[in-house]
Amino acid sequence: MHETKTYRFPIGPAHPAMANFGIDIEIEGEKVINAKSDPGYLHRGFEKLMEYRTYLQNTILVGRVCVFEPFSYELAYNIAVDKIAGLDVPERGSYIRVMMSELMRISSHLVWMSKMCRATGLDTVLKLAITYRDYILELFEESTGGRVYPVYIRPGGVRWDLPDRFNEHLEKALKKLEDGLLKIDGLMFKNDIFISRTRNVGILKKNTAIKLGATGPVLKACGFKYDIRKDNPYEVYKELDFDVPVYNGCDSYSRSLVRRNEIEESIKIIRQLVKNMPSGNHINKISPFASLPQGEVYSRIEGARGEIGFHIISTGSDMPYRVKIRSPSFTHFIPVLEDILTGSQIADVPVIYWSLDPCADMDR
Amino acid sequence: MIKRKIEKNKLVEVLKKAKQQGFEHLSCLSVVDWPEKKKFELNYLIWSYKKKKLLSIKTFIERDKPQIKSVVELWGANAEAHEREAHELFGIDFEGNKNLTPLFLKDWKGKPPFRKDFDWRKFVNKKYFGDKNA
Repeated sequence: MHETKTYRFPIGPAHPAMANFGIDIEIEGEKVINAKSDPGYLHRGFEKLMEYRTYLQNTILVGRVCVFEPFSYELAYNIAVDKIAGLDVPERGSYIRVMMSELMRISSHLVWMSKMCRATGLDTVLKLAITYRDYILELFEESTGGRVYPVYIRPGGVRWDLPDRFNEHLEKALKKLEDGLLKIDGLMFKNDIFISRTRNVGILKKNTAIKLGATGPVLKACGFKYDIRKDNPYEVYKELDFDVPVYNGCDSYSRSLVRRNEIEESIKIIRQLVKNMPSGNHINKISPFASLPQGEVYSRIEGARGEIGFHIISTGSDMPYRVKIRSPSFTHFIPVLEDILTGSQIADVPVIYWSLDPCADMDR
Repeated sequence: MIKRKIEKNKLVEVLKKAKQQGFEHLSCLSVVDWPEKKKFELNYLIWSYKKKKLLSIKTFIERDKPQIKSVVELWGANAEAHEREAHELFGIDFEGNKNLTPLFLKDWKGKPPFRKDFDWRKFVNKKYFGDKNA
């Protein structure tokens, strides 16, 4: 007779296969019988820090919430500030904001591809995806001055206009990306190893996903069409023609396909923006020391990982009284991850973990 | 955004009704500290996929006795996580939430750090720069 024993052990936060976030796992044989998320390794207290800084100083801070998609946080925060201040964003400013956040979505999904391939052992795509991301980082450097943290979106618009030959460079990069995506298709999405490692792994059903607050690609992979860009449009998304990729597999493979197809949709959006980009002013400036009127606002945008929200309370001073950040990874990595991992195999833990696309926004 | 201000003892009842009417997605639980009014403000921000509308339910609780009923019965582990965060950072007790364990701050023994009367700069000067006057 074999005696069955259960073991408890932590994975992460400092572990090569993990982001900066830990899970305490209990296994029986090879089966995970219990998983508890252990966030906090990157808790930097952004919400509190923002109460000590002016609205403009905070634009520099917000991007740091998530290193892979700073533009999304800059955008969500600045939409909230625009609403409180009653600022109208010039059309050109709004077009540039959307263009940059779509480029950021592609960049973030490429980083995810790289990490997902590390989890499944496909080292070629690990390097390839990061290489293609660099073409986008070059565009960021050219237009904003910063590769990783652009600090570009400001209350009332964007910091400065696009440089002279930007559209030409952008089109070149998009073409390279389209070629790259075909290469990655063959190496990753049509690869039997990848399919067998992800299909039917990490099942999350639609009703559970809704109850647990899943958003973004995680929810779209459960066959539920919900995208804030379509359902509650902000900036110029109303005028744009794009599809929301939805898959019914409820597994890690479906989540992967949603992200892959979102890249294509983002390229489509960017081309429309370039074609219809209006001329004129790119920002309606406010004073860096401006006190904003009293008010309360909750702004939401569709980030690469899901719903990003800023609940800001202004009491009429030059600094926000309270900022609450709603981050997608908070719900994906506490309730959702614990739910999916329970009952899974120990070997599938990294795959499930990366299929949810972790980022430091869970800690904030 | 539809805004409603309610009494704290009606919270679960109102949210249950809202959920039945299609407000299924608990997007955010945001707490605001008002030391001068001696109150905590709780905002439950809920989205309806069908109606495509955002609902904000606001309620106030006493700052000296920060207790309110939990909404775990409606949103399960999602509500549990949001309430754990509010408990840790603001010291609010959610009756009925059995898992109000530390989330981000292990071994933290001081005042809940997101309250307005927690002086963050003083804490940093004392802990990391050895300022004895802080």
